[in-house]
Amino acid sequence: MFFLTNALLSGFGDKLAYLDPGSGSFLIQLLIAALLGAGIALRASWSKVKKLFGIKSEVNEDAEDEEPEE
Amino acid sequence: MPKTKNLKNSDHTATLGASFRDPSGFLFTDGETLYRQVNRIYATDYDQLMESGLYAKLVKAGLLIPHQEVEQPVRSPREGVGPRRGAQDEAAYKVLRPELVPFISYPYEWSFSQYKDAALATLSIQKRALKLGMSLKDASAYNIQFIHGKPLLIDTLSFEAYQEGQPWVAYKQFCQHFLAPLALMALKDVRLSQLMRVYIDGIPLDLASQMLPGSTRLSFGLLTHIHIHAGAQKRYADAEIKQPKERGGVSKQAMQGLIESLQSTVRKLEWKAGGTEWGNYYEITNYSDTAFEHKKEIIADWVERVKPSLVWDLGANNGEFSRITSQAGIYTVSSDIDPTAVEQNYRRLRQEKEKNILPLVLDLTNPSPALGWANQERDSFGQRGPADIVFALALIHHLAISNNVPLTRVAEFFAGTGEWLVIEFVPKSDSQVQKLLKSRKDIFDQYTKEGFEQAFEMYYHIQAAKPVKESERILYLLQRRK
Repeated sequence: MFFLTNALLSGFGDKLAYLDPGSGSFLIQLLIAALLGAGIALRASWSKVKKLFGIKSEVNEDAEDEEPEE
Repeated sequence: MPKTKNLKNSDHTATLGASFRDPSGFLFTDGETLYRQVNRIYATDYDQLMESGLYAKLVKAGLLIPHQEVEQPVRSPREGVGPRRGAQDEAAYKVLRPELVPFISYPYEWSFSQYKDAALATLSIQKRALKLGMSLKDASAYNIQFIHGKPLLIDTLSFEAYQEGQPWVAYKQFCQHFLAPLALMALKDVRLSQLMRVYIDGIPLDLASQMLPGSTRLSFGLLTHIHIHAGAQKRYADAEIKQPKERGGVSKQAMQGLIESLQSTVRKLEWKAGGTEWGNYYEITNYSDTAFEHKKEIIADWVERVKPSLVWDLGANNGEFSRITSQAGIYTVSSDIDPTAVEQNYRRLRQEKEKNILPLVLDLTNPSPALGWANQERDSFGQRGPADIVFALALIHHLAISNNVPLTRVAEFFAGTGEWLVIEFVPKSDSQVQKLLKSRKDIFDQYTKEGFEQAFEMYYHIQAAKPVKESERILYLLQRRK
């Protein structure tokens, strides 16, 4: 975390962002999100590898967030 | 924030006390109708919400309050604020009429699972929004209300266009409004939800971080979203946020990762009262089955006579008697001081998909006060009334004896909550009252059937009184004096 500098900070140009995101919250979000984004990317490639070997993916815990089939 | 009952008292237009932070629009009432004005500044985002299909999808999923666009001009409370006096509010883009929330409740009144479901609903909305190119610009727990037994977002103006690279502006608010209170409730003490009463913008993360057990640092979610987050807030409090750069920021994939991480952190939080399983926690009363059924019959009979549309069952325990009215399609607020009983009540409604009941944690000896800016953002419990009929079953001894409130004051309080009252008098000889008197001196000479009737007749007419079979208790149907 300590290597983070202001150079990493990007801002909010939107006039409607009425909440103060908080500098610290903003920074830590960048860090966590980067980490978790990498995790998702890894997971995606891992499931591709598994598919290659014919292994089924685990049950999607977030099924409730998916759109129901029309 | 939508209200129902209070609207009856207003014959002029007025903006609501909680509706001022977000420049996108505001709520106002015109007589009995609630409106939401969408300001021009928010036009693009509003159109995107409606045209992207996000509105329809969220409403269909029961996650967003439905509304109708109304033809302008509606009398706006800000009429004449523009350059031409008497003209329509020039900031107005559209006026919406949202579906009404039967009873507004606040996070400090929710049981653990209600709070958790509200958090998960917020994250689910954010996930669906991202898929359709939008993002929540706030994640306030006060924007979630329970309708038809389920949590949904009542602020239609909470969405903004999502721009890849932008972080989630509401991340801090989500952690303070949802994650910190839930973690404290699950892992420290369920009563800590009451901190939400003190901190209007959610529990400060440094406070949550200090109070949570050290073992929470072993959970990736709590370590990052609360402990490290709190540290970063302190360390970088004065760091300046610069204009967006070409690259960098939070990619869409990273944003999804963030939301999923919050989801899994919230999902893992569980609360078990004293380590017991939910099914067999509650010992209800000292009633025999006959007494229990007779009590239900009497109440059902009186409800039929009064024909209420809003019931408050105060001291409802796990909501057994609330179901007399809720199952008859009458909206019933079912409150109790015990978070365990309320949790059980909510679990039952969720399991049986009940719609007309709202369990709430409420201490009648210290009901929710009016809070926030100018004490006008959050209504007190009393301000959210009146109810058409109030139930006070097996409650009077807790107020009069445990809490030393004189009977006349109890009567005065109830008279302010609604026109009709079903109240159960529990005499001193009853084993439950004996239990309360065991550890203290009996200073309650007034606490007799006669003393009770005398006190309540100052405020009410006794319309009916019926002894409950196989018990020493008496049920009264009271109507407030004009």
